[in-house]
Amino acid sequence: MTVATRVAAGLPQRSTAWSSGVARYGRPIGLAALVLMLGFLTVYPMAMLLYGSLHSTPPGIPGTFNIDGYAGLLTSETLIVLANTVGLSLIKTILSLALAVLLAWIIARTDTPGRGVLEVLITLPFFIPPILTATAWAMLGNAQVGTINLAWRWLSGTDGTLIDVYSYGGVIWHMMQYSTPFIFLFVVDAFRAMDPALEESSRMSGASRWQTFWRITFVLMLPVTSSAFILSFIRGMESFESAVFFGTPVGINVITTTIYNSITQRAQPDYQSATALGFAAMALMFVLLVLQSRMLRGKNFATVTGKGYAPNVTRLGALRWLTFAICIAFFLATVVLPIGQLLLSSFFQFFGFYQLDMLTLDHYRSVWRNRDFWTSFGNTLLLGVSGATATMALGAIVAYVTTRTRWPGRRLIDLLAWLPWMMPGMVLGIGFLWGFASLPHAIPIYGTLWALLLAYLALGTPVAVRVASAAYQQIAADIEECSRVHGAGWWQTLWRILVALAWPALAVGWVLIFFGIMRELSASILLYAPGTEVLSVTMLKMWSGGKPEEVSVVGLLMLAMVLLFRWLQLRFLQRRIRTL
Amino acid sequence: MPSVVLQSVGRRFGEVAAVDDVDLTVGHGEFVTLLGPSGCGKTTTLRMVAGLERNDSGHIAIGGKVVSDAPANLFVPPDQRNLGMVFQSYAIWPHMTVFDNVAYPLSVRRAPKSVIGERVAAALRLVEMERFADRPAPMLSGGQQQRVAIARALVFEPEVLLLDEPLSNLDARLRAQMGEEFRALQRRLDITTLYVTHDQEEAMALSDRVVVMQRGRVLQDGPPETVYRRPASRDVASFFGTPNFIEASVRSCRADGDGYVLEIEGSEGRGACRAARPFEPGSAVVVVVRPEDVTLAAQQAAENGQLVWQGKVMAATFRGARRTLVVETGTGKLAVECPANRAAAIGDGVTLRVDAGHAWAIAA
Ligand SMILES: Nc1ncnc2c1ncn2[C@@H]1O[C@H](COP(=O)(O)OP(=O)(O)OP(=O)(O)O)[C@@H](O)[C@H]1O
Ligand SMILES: [Mg+2]
Repeated sequence: MTVATRVAAGLPQRSTAWSSGVARYGRPIGLAALVLMLGFLTVYPMAMLLYGSLHSTPPGIPGTFNIDGYAGLLTSETLIVLANTVGLSLIKTILSLALAVLLAWIIARTDTPGRGVLEVLITLPFFIPPILTATAWAMLGNAQVGTINLAWRWLSGTDGTLIDVYSYGGVIWHMMQYSTPFIFLFVVDAFRAMDPALEESSRMSGASRWQTFWRITFVLMLPVTSSAFILSFIRGMESFESAVFFGTPVGINVITTTIYNSITQRAQPDYQSATALGFAAMALMFVLLVLQSRMLRGKNFATVTGKGYAPNVTRLGALRWLTFAICIAFFLATVVLPIGQLLLSSFFQFFGFYQLDMLTLDHYRSVWRNRDFWTSFGNTLLLGVSGATATMALGAIVAYVTTRTRWPGRRLIDLLAWLPWMMPGMVLGIGFLWGFASLPHAIPIYGTLWALLLAYLALGTPVAVRVASAAYQQIAADIEECSRVHGAGWWQTLWRILVALAWPALAVGWVLIFFGIMRELSASILLYAPGTEVLSVTMLKMWSGGKPEEVSVVGLLMLAMVLLFRWLQLRFLQRRIRTL
Repeated sequence: MPSVVLQSVGRRFGEVAAVDDVDLTVGHGEFVTLLGPSGCGKTTTLRMVAGLERNDSGHIAIGGKVVSDAPANLFVPPDQRNLGMVFQSYAIWPHMTVFDNVAYPLSVRRAPKSVIGERVAAALRLVEMERFADRPAPMLSGGQQQRVAIARALVFEPEVLLLDEPLSNLDARLRAQMGEEFRALQRRLDITTLYVTHDQEEAMALSDRVVVMQRGRVLQDGPPETVYRRPASRDVASFFGTPNFIEASVRSCRADGDGYVLEIEGSEGRGACRAARPFEPGSAVVVVVRPEDVTLAAQQAAENGQLVWQGKVMAATFRGARRTLVVETGTGKLAVECPANRAAAIGDGVTLRVDAGHAWAIAA
């Protein structure tokens, strides 16, 4: 007998008393801490929002309770704002969905050349902060001095105007640049992972290619596309940048810009009506999200399996160059044009006047010397790194509790972590604004970087939870149980098995949340104070201050950061995930 | 001292009693198999021994130490029970090499490096996997993964080894081979083993003792031959193959050796059979007759005490070495198994006989 001598005798024994004490008291204390923390991040701002909408004055100032805020919403003006919000988002979602499904089909199911590279290019706009493309398009599509119109006049010899982004169309087009890759990312894997046998058996049953598409492929993709549709629709209604850049100047207002204007752009900020509108917006989101889960209940995504099928690839023949051109055109319009514009305007004295003698490096110099810029750059990096780390850690813990344990209270935790889905950044911003302002003075969060960090934490948590629980679901339960049986304690198993297996996915989640924080504008714009600006806020302030050329410089710098992180993610993380 | 003791152990999932009042003892070095149809509570029982599931009644002891006592609310977590376990999916950790997988039970207990190296090498040698030590775990075939899982379960020289359908992912040939290898290893190391399977042949081939379960309860507990030849109930009998059940009534009953001999009367005359307990004359019994125990005879001359039927062959199925016949008799259709070269064409008239020692009576 080779393994006969007992190893256990010579090994230190864990103290049983200690571990049973941890099991008895550690778990309830940990759970209570988690519930309190999530409650502070979600229920607290919601409650303060409700309070603010019913109270006549800002927190700390004596006032009365009334429903003037809600009564004030019952005007035709509000109706138009609501119609704008819903209508704009609906149209842009329909258009984006059509485009995204076409692109997903091209990438996943055809023999278009260079699909691997095209996929990276197509998804790039998702990672570019909208404020960056917004400033670029404001310079590209300005009716008077926009580069596109200048080029058109020069080419056609007329002095007509080709496009004007300060319009409904402009708002929609700008939203689409973000939402098309969003939907694409959502659906492309479903297209790719579909079991070809499902389609083949339809063909074998005598259905034509066309019938097969409508009766099998389309129906199987319906759950994924419809949930992408609803999510994108909700994101559209929460969006702020497109409307504040291209709508507000010409009187097109949506919910987020109305809230923003009534707080920051008036001599006497109207907090009550802003919070009332915010609360109403939240209710609307809630209805939509409930609708979504109703619609998707009972539909499974079982077509998307982990197995490595080689999907049915359609041979397009010469047409594949057309599909190739479509992908390239999308990339040109959403990435190359805006970046080109930023480059162009950063080197000329004034954008719109592109003459050789106006070439200059002044803008770079002035940004370099701008203290506010460096402060906000540092803040963004600091908040991005710490926020992404904290959010992902919280998400990993919440997902663990809700998917891997049967602890009491896990449903409450799941619900609390889900709540921010229905809070647009702008609305969460006001909730926290009131929440932080009414905290006792001993807790100075208001006006500090903590305020922004907590808001980012709340906004990112649902994504982090989703990423982490998807990662855990890949790991079979017995992989963990096996570790317990073979002598590893709860913590050891958590670190050596679960985290060790899930970290690449968690790291991808980290990068996603980091991008989310860099992109964030609507909550930041309400919560920043002098000295705690972040890059997106600084860009908006510089833009409003009439320095579009310097904004271009800042935008390019931000873009360099985005590309760096995206490259790191693709280079080091994606590959690890594929192999695992 | 028995290695594993379960006393009136139960576990409910909501309304379902997954395991219901189970008593079970596994002696030191014994190989005991839990056998039963899908969903009968085998896995749940095993998981309660492992500490992965809490029993909500009864108590469990391992190596003489109570590890779980529901009334006293005592529960030792799985990592402190010193067990080895092989999971159905093998649960090989994909982010580690073969060596790291096997070393894990030692390294979580902070064994010194030298001890780890030595023991892991020895364990891998036992399962003939020493050449694969540095291989990343995902790059193994099913049979190799199974060996690694066994090495990992053995490396710590656990009190008890638990296995949940470890062979069900393998193809038929490898299954037979790995089963034999494992049984030889278990005998050599003299390690107490609790094994779960729903494959009756595997259970009979490997075990010292088989525990037949159904709907969370133990139906019968005994050596494979006993469970097969002397089933306690119709359910146990029909779990092994497709026996014939013949209704009859008892004429007389006498004790004989470790059981009883019954004189019975069916619709086609009389004969003798054995039973585990006495029956009142006149009471109804069901006689279990295995198809392979029925002999085809040319003429009617019955020896003393044999059960005899006349019939006609209705169907014949060729199974390689054997042929299965369905014979229509006065008592109904009987299944008969005979050597394949014993030609009996469909429509032939035949006489069937069964020795008293191969007919087993249970309560109707
Ligand atoms: N976690 C659980 N929650 C609810 N019911 C469960 C759970 N685990 C098992 N059950 C139920 O308990 C019963 C016994 O399950 P168990 O897994 O022990 O069966 P089994 O004998 O191992 O079956 P199989 O041969 O299919 O593996 C089944 O009815 C099952 O549905
Ligand atoms: Mg089972």
